[in-house]
Amino acid sequence: MAPPALLLAVFFVLPMLIMASFSFRLGTFAPERYVFTTEHYWDFISRTSFHRLLLRSIGVAFITAGASIVLAYPLAHFLVFRAGRMQLTLLSLLIIPAWTSYLLRILAWKVILGSNGLLNSFLLQAGLIQEGSARLLYSPSAVVVTLVYVWIPFVALPIFAALQRIDGSVLEAAADLGCPAWQTFLRVIFPLSLPGVAAGFLFVFIPTLGEWVTPALVGGARGVMYGNLIQDQFVRALNWPMGSVMSLVMLALMLVQLALFSRVVRLSDLAAV
Amino acid sequence: MINATSKLLRLRFAAQTAARLLAAAIVLGGCAAPAAAPGEAVAMQPAAAATGPLLMLEWSGYELPEFWQPFADQHPNQNVDFSFFAEDAEAFAKLQTGFKADLVHPCSSWWQLYVDAGLVQPIDTARLSNFSGMRPEMSAMGVFGGKQYFIPWEWGYESILVRTDKVKNPPKSWADLWNPEYAGHLALWDSGESNHAMTALALGFKPEQTTAAQDELIKQKLLELKPSVVTYWVDFTEVPQLISSGDAWVVANVWQDAYATLVGDGVAVDYITPSEGRLGWLCGYGISSQSANVNLAYDYINAAIAPKSMAKMIDTYSYGAANNSALALADPKFIKLLQLDEPDILQRTVFFNSITPDRRKRFTNLWDEVKAAP
Repeated sequence: MAPPALLLAVFFVLPMLIMASFSFRLGTFAPERYVFTTEHYWDFISRTSFHRLLLRSIGVAFITAGASIVLAYPLAHFLVFRAGRMQLTLLSLLIIPAWTSYLLRILAWKVILGSNGLLNSFLLQAGLIQEGSARLLYSPSAVVVTLVYVWIPFVALPIFAALQRIDGSVLEAAADLGCPAWQTFLRVIFPLSLPGVAAGFLFVFIPTLGEWVTPALVGGARGVMYGNLIQDQFVRALNWPMGSVMSLVMLALMLVQLALFSRVVRLSDLAAV
Repeated sequence: MINATSKLLRLRFAAQTAARLLAAAIVLGGCAAPAAAPGEAVAMQPAAAATGPLLMLEWSGYELPEFWQPFADQHPNQNVDFSFFAEDAEAFAKLQTGFKADLVHPCSSWWQLYVDAGLVQPIDTARLSNFSGMRPEMSAMGVFGGKQYFIPWEWGYESILVRTDKVKNPPKSWADLWNPEYAGHLALWDSGESNHAMTALALGFKPEQTTAAQDELIKQKLLELKPSVVTYWVDFTEVPQLISSGDAWVVANVWQDAYATLVGDGVAVDYITPSEGRLGWLCGYGISSQSANVNLAYDYINAAIAPKSMAKMIDTYSYGAANNSALALADPKFIKLLQLDEPDILQRTVFFNSITPDRRKRFTNLWDEVKAAP
């Protein structure tokens, strides 16, 4: 086998198979480990609250990915077409924050959104609220805001790469034919950058659906996500079979999503980004 | 049961746990029988030949040398290695999947599980010269089938912490947490077992003996509380932050070290004694049945339960000591404030006892239903 295939087999396919085998075991440790059953699948089917939460988490991932693209696209566009000699410097500035700890960047939002944080203090001073509230932080929207902030560089990069690949002569042709700037963007640039947009979407959507650290830190009681429950099953309940079932259901949904996606965008185009 | 030195550290442990679980899954899923991992063959030497480091499976924060100084004095050339865990479940999973620790430090609600799984060996208390000062009712909790398997080390409370400058009428009981006055300012611990116990007390049930019907009532009661809850805290270092920033005014199931920290910082807080009683936890040392360093393990436990070592623990974390002789050597301020020296304090505290894997699963599922609710 070629080295990349071997790497995928050992670090991706094998763990998946182990997880799949665990989903059919009765318990985590011997002797229950060596008893095979479909019990946990039936249990999962009966847990309507889990299904609801999974749907809600898909919604959160969708909004997060969409918002990241809306915010990252102008950035990438500016870098490619307007930044000129500053391009490399600005690109570095965009990426450098991603080098700091992920947790630090999440915690920074506590300083902004907390009950005596920047936003509450401002609203208080402006007389818009009577007392600082912790509800700005500790909410599903705080999870989305934090994640969008964290993901923007990861979305901007593939879009940047896609925009940069656009052949300048195409744009010249559009101009020669009298196409106004906004039409050039809508009919030439944007369609050509779609593979980058699609890549950015998947970069955000997939990890966000399984996210558990951010909801645990800033999500509060209402921002819990499906990933938090998977973690509970593995770490707290030591119920690895149930955790595996829940993970596999999520994986299956992700594959369905990817299949739908591939009807719109050719996945091989993403590889070129 | 301890606050980590910093939140980031603890979360790094959590991430490492995930990685370790994955690694364990690879090793164990690939084997037909629970054999040792290939890299661990070195430890399979006869006991007498063991000269390797003493390996501790320990809560982070308990590795401080002053907690086991007599051992270092007795064995100056002996290495002691620490492997940390942040949750009891993590330590249990680690030993179950073949980790070769010599000593492990779980809390009482897990002890029976260790004994049943054959992970720990009986301890001859006659070999521990410092055992004589131990509180007998605590040592008794470490006895299973007539044999001593765990030597208690530290104990503490779970109770309600309140910002007295923000809250007009502080809660007097666990049931008072449902008072609408605290809505939007209440934080609960993200722990199924503790929330089950706390709510059982609020409803007048015995936490250890709840029936399935009572558990359903407990779930409904927790769902009723959910709209009032601003957040579930995960890590103990979050509590002082939550309280001092004003993000939460009433925080449930807090250990006393958070209280001591906030009092030290001059924050106006009170640590409630609910009318149903504070919850209590107890943790201690067990010797792994796989240990090749049994003699050293005995010496370590004896050093850890020495009055001086335990007094250091009281001064550092304000927890109670399982050795009564430690009280006289520790700073009296928090001993008085937390009633650590009152003879009947244990009777007035509702201690967590061993629970079965089935009940643990039930509590986690119950709590997950509450968390998953909109």
